[in-house]
Amino acid sequence: MAAHATLPFSCSSTLQTLTRTLSPRGAHGLRRGFLRLPSLAALPRLARPCRRHVSASAANGASAEGEYDYDLFTIGAGSGGVRASRFASTLHGARVAICEMPFATIASDKLGGLGGTCVLRGCVPKKLLVYGSKYSHEFEESRGFGWTYETDPKHDWNTLIANKNTELQRLVGIYRNILNNAGVTLIEGRGKIVDPRTVSVNGKLYTAKHILVGVGGRPSMPDIPGIEHVIDSDAALDLPSKPEKIAIVGGGYIALEFAGIFNGLKSEVHVFIRQKKVLRGFDEEVRDFVSEQMSLRGITFHTEQSPQAITKSNDGLLSLKTNKETFGGFSHVMFATGRRPNTKNLGLEEVGVEMDKNGAIVVDEYSRTSVDSIWAVGDVTNRVNLTPVALMEGGAFAKTVFGNEPTKPDYRSIPSAVFSQPPIGQVGLTEEQAIEEYGDVDVFVANFRPLKATLSGLPDRVLMKILVSATSNKVVGVHMCGDDAPEIIQGIAIAVKAGLTKQDFDATIGIHPTSAEEFVTMRSATRKIRKKSADQVESKDEVVSKQ
Amino acid sequence: MARKMLVDGEVAAVADAGQYDYDLFVIGAGSGGVRGSRLAASFGAKVAICELPFHPISSEWLGGHGGTCVIRGCVPKKILVYGASFRGEFEDSKNFGWEINGDINFNWKKLLENKTKEIVRLNGVYQKILTNAGVTLIEGAGSLVDAHTVEVSQPDGSKQRYTAKHILIATGSRAQRVNIPGKELAITSDEALSLEELPKRAVILGGGYIAVEFASIWRGMGAEVDLFYRRELPLRGFDDEMRAVVASNLEGRGIKLHPGTNLSELSKTADGIKVVTDKGEELIADVVLFATGRTPNSQRLNLQAAGVEVDQIGAIKKTVFGGQQVKPDYGDVPCAVFSIPPLSVVGLSEQQALEEANSDILVFTSSFNPMKNSISKRQEKTIMKLVVDAETDRVLGASMCGPDAPEIIQGFAVALKCGATKANFDSTVGIHPSAAEEFVTMRTVTRRVSPTSKPKTNL
Repeated sequence: MAAHATLPFSCSSTLQTLTRTLSPRGAHGLRRGFLRLPSLAALPRLARPCRRHVSASAANGASAEGEYDYDLFTIGAGSGGVRASRFASTLHGARVAICEMPFATIASDKLGGLGGTCVLRGCVPKKLLVYGSKYSHEFEESRGFGWTYETDPKHDWNTLIANKNTELQRLVGIYRNILNNAGVTLIEGRGKIVDPRTVSVNGKLYTAKHILVGVGGRPSMPDIPGIEHVIDSDAALDLPSKPEKIAIVGGGYIALEFAGIFNGLKSEVHVFIRQKKVLRGFDEEVRDFVSEQMSLRGITFHTEQSPQAITKSNDGLLSLKTNKETFGGFSHVMFATGRRPNTKNLGLEEVGVEMDKNGAIVVDEYSRTSVDSIWAVGDVTNRVNLTPVALMEGGAFAKTVFGNEPTKPDYRSIPSAVFSQPPIGQVGLTEEQAIEEYGDVDVFVANFRPLKATLSGLPDRVLMKILVSATSNKVVGVHMCGDDAPEIIQGIAIAVKAGLTKQDFDATIGIHPTSAEEFVTMRSATRKIRKKSADQVESKDEVVSKQ
Repeated sequence: MARKMLVDGEVAAVADAGQYDYDLFVIGAGSGGVRGSRLAASFGAKVAICELPFHPISSEWLGGHGGTCVIRGCVPKKILVYGASFRGEFEDSKNFGWEINGDINFNWKKLLENKTKEIVRLNGVYQKILTNAGVTLIEGAGSLVDAHTVEVSQPDGSKQRYTAKHILIATGSRAQRVNIPGKELAITSDEALSLEELPKRAVILGGGYIAVEFASIWRGMGAEVDLFYRRELPLRGFDDEMRAVVASNLEGRGIKLHPGTNLSELSKTADGIKVVTDKGEELIADVVLFATGRTPNSQRLNLQAAGVEVDQIGAIKKTVFGGQQVKPDYGDVPCAVFSIPPLSVVGLSEQQALEEANSDILVFTSSFNPMKNSISKRQEKTIMKLVVDAETDRVLGASMCGPDAPEIIQGFAVALKCGATKANFDSTVGIHPSAAEEFVTMRTVTRRVSPTSKPKTNL
């Protein structure tokens, strides 16, 4: 593998191209001063270029042969850690080692696996289970299209889980190959920081010029009576049998995704949330829409309920006691009540790495911790806990430290999805945030029955929403809840990040027949919010009246 | 109601109010005609529109509000594609743990019935849209008498004339048949969307999107399908790499492809229709579909009476939209072919980019097994492709063949139309896990091609 792979565009030309305005009307979504990168000298905290001649690029953070075992030692081979290690090695010529615990579907202090949460206990298995559970809805839909079954299709949980686990094994192998091919040394075991340049794995010490912490997060649960009977998402992805009746405590994306999965596989599903609505932080209309659609599919929501205790009865069934009442008869109780950075017992406190009250490692814009030689990316820093963001952070870190090009991850207009059924895709601001920031906002909403549903006869609907700053006409937020929303929003996200206007959307011809074309054919604003101009009108009147 | 019109680029009051029956008379209530009528009426124009009575199969005297798209194109086609796609989904569901004991049956008549119900409903909706907009609906076949007069005829011979300041012709197109012996035994897409019986064996002649879509539809419904086309690959005009993928996918789903082959004769036998190809092969089919192109429906309009020029296939030339204030923009129009799996493209193909390019072009391709197939074990790759101007970094074209491609490409079409660069794509964070995110994570150039080495394509 070449130490310096040739990039199709040099990094600096890529950055220059980014500032090009997109259209004659001008797309000013790019921050001013985007190109003004601080020189290395201007960054007091970055190491000065190494004076000792070591390899072709002495200034890239590489250390003298023999001074350290490695240029980079990464703890945790998840999305962020693998990306950083791979890029540091292949693109920037660094000598890299990475440690990771042996594979298990359920993480623990001793078990994890190459690929990390995303590959083994998050994005991938979750999506596979969503695929598996969606079929029941498709079987129902197919009836309106002329399909009939002698007997209703039945689902075998163990087949799904076994095939899912086989796929995970395959992916672990792929990650091993990726790292090997990148020239990264793999060390199996749990890493612990001993000093700012030393990591210990299974008693063996390794020194490195830089240490990267990419240990991710773990599900967190409140310490309430009976919590030992409760399963988390790790366990839910690997249950020995399908739940007959499950209580899911939580209102976030993990709770909703599992609600959809188990409901699709014909479990009886009850979701308990502390708030009035699910998905706090999401656009209000989307929050209402998704829970209505999920209710229509048979999920029962219990709102404004706080869990207090879980008890197991003699017949093995579980009861959940909330601040309001007690609900019984559950085969399983699952808590999807948040995730915490996995920072215990890593040696962080002892070495002086600062953490916040949630245990997240505090980092600057370049992902550097309070200790000069220690860095952190991904969920362990609790910034934006998404795989593509961890990848971005890992790549930026590698470029900064080993590529001699300080690079900050760009957190603007990050799109994301919830794989509920129906799923959600979104990019940019919610309506509430848009009004807060822009004052005058035009809101375009489409809420319709998709073509497939007019034939299936099912009550499925689609919600699509565009938020426009009335002053600049820039599209500041786009939301969708309905089939294929995550796929649809991806292309839209480029437009939003680049600061395109509603006119740009409207000038684009639709692809017909699709749901996505609705985004380029919304001609009349559903409502026009005027907060800023209303204020201005008021103050003008005031001045007049004072005279 | 104050009526304003655009005359020579200026908004003018209708000084000659009363001289004409209508400000605008539209012939044909399809996508273009309905949109034109509705918007004109919303600007205050007095509008009439004529359309033939409704029937799923069009003819000299039958059509219907909504036009081809609603009644015998986009909508019913998509419904049939949905219906046909379920078979593949059932197969895929097995490795996800689903057991379907006993037979799965497909009842074509039920789908046909539900499809018809929906297009009848939409036909009614379109009529309401027009009447709500204040447009006068006239039933019958419209033709020109002179530059300001339309004659609407009925099958019984009766005629009625109307005058209008402006006439909009939007009569669409009709499927055409190739002229071979036995051609009357073949059907077109109109009939194919409304067959009494589902064919067990289908022969399709044609290489365009209609042929490919029906091949996928009938195969999904369980028929044996033989697809004949004159070129080496179907979908001429699309990116060559994509064409090859579509062909390979059609084969993968069990459709028998016959490239470089035409049909020479059809004849009726007791067992079905005997099909003879120009290579001398013979087969028997229940249905033979000619999907060999559509021609503009301009023959009965009497266009010469008003001096309207047509080209050799009958398309109306040199349309001018009121004062030329608003010209339709034909740049970067995205489109989709609803084969199973579908194809969708926007911008230039690799071949078109090379023809037009002054500098090198960079091609980024990603071919992968979609996540669902890792469990279902379906052997079908998704391919995604970006064509980039090496000098300006502008993304000239994006294409995809794989599940959900049409839904995915729509958002990219917005970006492309506004001149997005590869850097814009790459700086956008992906949505994970999805197929679409692949478009924003293609980091390695697959090949760099110079315009001087333009590959001649004649496939």
